[in-house]
Amino acid sequence: MGAAPSNVAVGHPVFYAGRFVHRVSDAVLPEGCELLGDWDVLPAQLAAAMERADTLVVLDPLSFPFEALTGTQQDVPLIVVLPSELDVDSLIAVFGKPVFAHLGFFDRVATPDSSVWEMLCRRYGWAEGQRVEIEGSRPEEAAQEIGIVLEAEAEAPKFFGDGSYEATRYWSERGAALAGPMPHRAICSVLLGSCFNKAMHRVQRTALEPQFAAARGARAEDIPFDILEVGTGIGRWAASFDPARTRFCGVDISEGMIAAARANFPERSFEHLGPDLGFPYEDESFDLVFSVTVMHHNPTPAKRTLLSEMWRVAKPGGRLLFLEDFVTGGWSEKSTVYPMSVLEFVELLLEATAGRVVLEHVESLRYPHDDWVRGGIIAVSKLGVPKKW
Amino acid sequence: MSENDFYTPTDLDMLRMENELLAFEVRFLRARLGWPGRGSGSSPSLNRLAQLEEAESDLVLLVRRMSSSPLGPFLRLRGGFRTLEERYLSPEAQEASSRDRLAYLELAEQDLVLLLQRMGRGPLGRVFRLKREFRTLEERYL
Repeated sequence: MGAAPSNVAVGHPVFYAGRFVHRVSDAVLPEGCELLGDWDVLPAQLAAAMERADTLVVLDPLSFPFEALTGTQQDVPLIVVLPSELDVDSLIAVFGKPVFAHLGFFDRVATPDSSVWEMLCRRYGWAEGQRVEIEGSRPEEAAQEIGIVLEAEAEAPKFFGDGSYEATRYWSERGAALAGPMPHRAICSVLLGSCFNKAMHRVQRTALEPQFAAARGARAEDIPFDILEVGTGIGRWAASFDPARTRFCGVDISEGMIAAARANFPERSFEHLGPDLGFPYEDESFDLVFSVTVMHHNPTPAKRTLLSEMWRVAKPGGRLLFLEDFVTGGWSEKSTVYPMSVLEFVELLLEATAGRVVLEHVESLRYPHDDWVRGGIIAVSKLGVPKKW
Repeated sequence: MSENDFYTPTDLDMLRMENELLAFEVRFLRARLGWPGRGSGSSPSLNRLAQLEEAESDLVLLVRRMSSSPLGPFLRLRGGFRTLEERYLSPEAQEASSRDRLAYLELAEQDLVLLLQRMGRGPLGRVFRLKREFRTLEERYL
């Protein structure tokens, strides 16, 4: 959010029908979308089509060259329609390594079979919101149903509130409107294309995962690791932690987002934050407390409260991790960002924690499509002696 | 942005914030890598810069003192001394120093070392050494 990059092209959906192209060509598809057959995915043609795509719907995954997607082509969100003729074991054998293992939070799977979905979802740690529930099992029916979903997403509201930004009201309204029906539009940017959001997520994940590992450190795998995400949204980072080895909790000011997060990851714990922003947890409850692009959406008093609460619930020696925008342009009516430089943030952090932290990591992030470096990661560990042993 | 376009800053505030973020990251990395300042990298450390600044200021004081002494007109007969005066006492010296500050300071340090060596070697070396300031300069730079 904030200052939008000027060079982000918003594309259109591309449907790959492969061997079924003649059947799908009769289906009613969204206006402006592109339909590809199995002769249209030779490397040069596929590369050109991917440049125009904002979503790639793979109706015939058995004939699609997934391995040909490289570089920025991988930033185009996928919707993979599972072939109805294959059972779960066959699906895993055929698509497990080349496809399923690479699907990220912004990719989706379409299937009419709930039992197949549940088994795959559990095995690959997907979120419930990654499923596109369809009724028809034939490619032309699936194409039509997915087309309707994509059209609805394209028409989703983009502005919330009465024109002036107020964090709690804005995110509550946005969560209520989008988190349930189209969770991926509820988080990240609603103004820019879905490729932009997937690319941003890729950069953030690449930077955050080593920090998650560093926070865990050399701790034995059987010792529980307690994690709290502040401003969890629909819970997208919960998928980065193994449920068997971690206790993941998330808090958010939007009830709609929390409901979507609970639906996405039923085995994780998500709580709604009240207007006082007090966390419903005891002191020193978590080994890692983190936020991703949350602080910069809040004014200074709210930032101060969130920082003190994060410090309070972190265990001594535990880690506080922030991935935020520290570079933003001037204020505009559409902006949801309170500009805050890294030094201003560090000063606020020191003030909120009375300086009882040690700087562990600093890293700047440049997102694809941006001409400037705007993101940054700051990790600190909490100093102090535990109140309870 | 196409390849032929130059980056045109349109928002000074944004540039300041970006600069702060990158500088903060560099400070953190230097501290983590244990570079307290000595020039293992391409840029000189703050300590080294302070050392060079001190050498330049010592040289300017020394040349100014020599220039205004009764021996000044005789010293000016030598091309090397005139060069030092032009380089460090003339109004153009200020401009040259701000253009490429690091190269200018390194040159000043070299000139100071050469000047002290020459003054110490000559027949007046013993006389200069009677003065405590000269002995201090010799200890500091030679």
